[in-house]
Formats: sequence, C-alpha cells, structure tokens
Amino acid sequence: MTENALKTYKHESKPSAKSIVAKTAIYLGLILFALWILIPFYIVVITSFKTRIEAQSPEFTLWPKDGFHWDGYIEVLGYKAGYSSIPVVWLGLLNTLLIVLPPTVIGLFTSSLAAYAFAKLRFKSKNFLFSVLLATMMIPGTIMLTPSYLLYDKIYWTGTAFPLMIPGMFGAAACVFFMRQFYMGIPTDLIEAAKLDGMGYFGIFFKIMVPLSVPALLAQGILGFIGGYNDYFGPYLYLTDPTMYTLQIALNSFQGTYASKWPTMMAGAVCALIPTLLIYILAQKYFIQGIATAGMKL
Amino acid sequence: MQSAFYPQKKVSKEAVYGTCFAGIPVLGFIIFGLIPMIVAVIMAFTDVKFALEDLQWVGFDNFAYALKDKMFWKSVVNTLYFALSMPISLIVALIVSVLLNQDIVCKKLFRTIFFIPYVCSVVAVALMWKWIFDANYGVLNAIITKCGGEPVLWLQNASTFGIAVIIIGVWTGSGFGIILYSAALTKVNPAYYEAAKIDGANSWKCFWNITIPAISPTTFYLVIMGLIGALQEFARIQVISTEAGPNNAGLTVVFYLYREGFSYHDMGHASAVAWLLALLIVGITAINFKLSNKWVSYD
Repeated sequence: MTENALKTYKHESKPSAKSIVAKTAIYLGLILFALWILIPFYIVVITSFKTRIEAQSPEFTLWPKDGFHWDGYIEVLGYKAGYSSIPVVWLGLLNTLLIVLPPTVIGLFTSSLAAYAFAKLRFKSKNFLFSVLLATMMIPGTIMLTPSYLLYDKIYWTGTAFPLMIPGMFGAAACVFFMRQFYMGIPTDLIEAAKLDGMGYFGIFFKIMVPLSVPALLAQGILGFIGGYNDYFGPYLYLTDPTMYTLQIALNSFQGTYASKWPTMMAGAVCALIPTLLIYILAQKYFIQGIATAGMKL
Repeated sequence: MQSAFYPQKKVSKEAVYGTCFAGIPVLGFIIFGLIPMIVAVIMAFTDVKFALEDLQWVGFDNFAYALKDKMFWKSVVNTLYFALSMPISLIVALIVSVLLNQDIVCKKLFRTIFFIPYVCSVVAVALMWKWIFDANYGVLNAIITKCGGEPVLWLQNASTFGIAVIIIGVWTGSGFGIILYSAALTKVNPAYYEAAKIDGANSWKCFWNITIPAISPTTFYLVIMGLIGALQEFARIQVISTEAGPNNAGLTVVFYLYREGFSYHDMGHASAVAWLLALLIVGITAINFKLSNKWVSYD
C-alpha cells in the first residue's frame, strides 16, 4: 500500500507531457459541460435586467448596454391581478407553501413510521405489504390520471387543493424504501434495550429512530418539498380558482400576461427558481445523498 | 403477569403495531391507486365522457378509436423520437462522471453545477429554453446570424421543434445520471484495475472491460427509470406550446391522452390510450429485463 502511494506520489511530482495533456483535457471537458449547464441560466438572468427594447432586438448583448434595470422584477413582484389584494407571485408562493408543506411533513412521518415497521417489527403480513408497496413504484402514473380526476370530481374535490394534498399524507413508497434501508442499519439491541425499559412502539420511534435518522429525514423532506414546489401538472389540472394558483401555475400564466415582455417574464422565472436553488445549495449534502442512495439500493 | 407465561401475546401486540404502521402507505395506495386503476379498466370499456354516470359498455371501441386515429400513431412516433434524449443523456452523464472521477480539484463545485437542472421547475426550464429558441430575439438565432447563417424558426418548424425538445431533455436529464454514475464509479474495486495493469491492459481496455460491466446495474436502473419517464413526457412540451407545437410535432402519447380526456372531454378514449401506453411501457421494460441478463452483471 505504502509502496503504491509512493509510486503515485513520484508519478505526480514529475508530471509527464502526456499527463499534462490528459489533465487539461479533463478540465476542458468538465468546464465545457459546466458552461452548457450554466449559460442558459446566465441568459435568463441577464435578460431579466435588460430593458424591453434591448432584450427584444435581434442582436444579443452579453451585458446590459445601459446598466441593470430592475423594472422586470418590480413589475413581476408587484403585479396584482383583479382577483386579489396580494401580488400574484407572493400569493402563489403562499399557496405553494400551504399546499406543499402539510403533505411533505405528514407524509414524511407516515413513511418513516412504515419504514420503522418494515425494518424492525415482526408481523405476519410484512413481506406481502412490502411487495405491494414495491409494485406501486412500477405503475406508470398516467393510468391513474383520468379515473382519479373523475373520482375526485364525484366527491367535489376538483377545484380544491385536496387531490394535491391528501394522497401524499399517506406516505410515498420511495420514501419508505429509503428510510427502511436507513433503519435497518440501526442496531436491534438498542431497540430491545429500550423495550426492556418499558418504552412503547411510538416511544421507540420518536426517541430512538427519529433522532438517529435526522439527516435521512431531511434528505427525504427536501426532496419531497422540491418535488411539490416544482409540480406543474397536478395544480394545473385541479386548481381552477386563480386565487389558489401555486407559484408554478402563476409563472406559467405570465406567458399570457406578459406576452411580449421577455425581461419581465425572465424576472418571474428567476424569482421562481431562487427558493429551490437556495435550498439545493444549502442542503446539497443531504440532497445528493438521498438521490444517490435511492438509486444504488434499487 | 400473564404475558410472561404467554410470550405470543407480546408478539401479537408487535404485530398489531407493525401492521398499522406499515399499513398506512398501503391504505393510501388502495384508496388513491388501486381504486382508480380498477375504475380505469372500466372506463376504457365504456362511453364515459366527463362524469362517472350512465356508463354504457362499448367493448373495445375506445381502443379501436385510438388505434385507427392517425394522431395517436403520430404521438407514439413523437414520444419514441423524444425518448432519444434518454440514451444521449446517459452517454453524456457517463463521460462527465468518468472525468469527474479523476484526481481533480473543484470536484464538489462541478458536481453542484451539474445537478442544478434537476432541481429546477418544469415551467421555469421551459420558459428559459423558449426564450433561447425564440425565432426573433433568441440567443441561438443571434449567434447563427452573427456567423452568417439564416435564422431558424426552432419552435415554429415541425422538424426543429423535435430537436429542441431533445436538447432540453438532455440538458435537464443528465444531472441525475451523473450523480448515480459518480456514486457507482467510486465503488468499483481498485484491485481490478491493478490486476488489469499488471496484465498490460491500457486505460481504454480497462474502461471497457472493467468499468462498464461494474457500473452496469446503474446503467440498467437509469435506462428503466429514464424510459418510464420519457414515455410519459408531456408537461415540458405543454408549457412551451399548449397546442403541442407546429402541426402537432410535440404531440406525445400523454399529450394526446390529455387532449382526448380534458380538452375533448372523452375520458373513455383517454383511458384506453392510458392502457395502451401502459402496455408499451410494460412491454419495453420487460424486454429490458430480458436483455439485462446479457449485459448487467451483479458481481
């Protein structure tokens, strides 16, 4: 092992021409790919600061010719439609939080409770229930689209946020799998000891399982929240009242409101992207862990 | 007192709690998944319009309607065409992950950047690219005219519309593959490479004979999930063009289904299309599993 390390060290201390070329090629590839990802964002951001005349000229300017203009942001953040006293964007953000947070939190609770049962409790139907859950992940969601809509319509749920909120509160199969995997790693002795101390099943869950799985819970919670925040089709289908529109639906409706005002529309897009990007950058560690593990275990 | 003599009583309490805890997501599936699925079967064989009442049994009429409709077949072709973004993203993701797996600085920064599109909303991404592809003021055409070319009507032309959709798909889709491939690459046993080097294998041979087989389970997972997603492509295109692009160039199967069900209010047709799509997905997934013996190695 040490010999190997020494070899590598020696090799690196005297870089050959070949390895310099290889290194350059690696960095070049990565930088090019990074640019391919970032340039579209740059175009959006820079457009949002241009005047309408500058943005809508055939010549594309990489930097606003006459300074940064905040008009687009002022317009988009202050725009009130006839139906509400709060600007559309803020109302959309509020609606999004109201619709997304409860199912995220409750769903996380029910999912991890089920995961605890699958990982640590013994009961007869365990394998059966687990395979049912496994099977649900394979079902293409499109099949449920039409019957769900008509069934919700039957119980007067269309036009309300219930179809977007209630199903998620029962937990998500993917989250159950992820948490189960995590809980299987917690030593059973710990749980047996707690049982001897007279702790009940809820007690064990809240006092042992939850505190030990905070990073995993955060990872799943963040994934769930971002998924809900970005959801477009569900809210588009079920929310008919503009005062209930989520941020994404409001953003999409700007296509009509600001038909030919690209800077304003791009300002709207930037505003809608900021919350998720902030969460992503701050909680990146949990986020990437959650994704990578989910993919590895299946 | 008694429980000391009858230990099974304790087990039964555990069983009750276990079944209840584990049963909640299953109950959710029964209510919001199983029941709609049963209704979906019924709907596909009835003349249901836009409400679940006075349903008349029509046999396979809804299926026949779709299978005879030229638009349906167009949507199938479009969907399969757009699904090309899946293998392209996969190859891009693999190349980038291999580069990322080398001994370099700023690894974390690169990874952070590459994954950004995954967390962005469909609407924002669609608007972003709509602006880039804009025929009059879009940056792409600005570059093309600067280089002396003719501006392209990206989103107004049936042929270029499809290319635009694939480009957006690759841009959005490669991040997920990069994360999974990166994780898989770090888990390849270095002893294999050492052994291969001793045998005189070059890096290309190592990549082809060691890396590719070692990460094949990840590739398999990405192919399966990618296809299931790609075959249900809809929202992105709908935000870009509510009419499914010029001359229905953006009409995917789900878009067709949506139009039949929610615009023309014929849920019977839509449900039949949903089952046809499910059949396609199941078929393709089954073929994938069948072929997987040949190229996926689980050590």
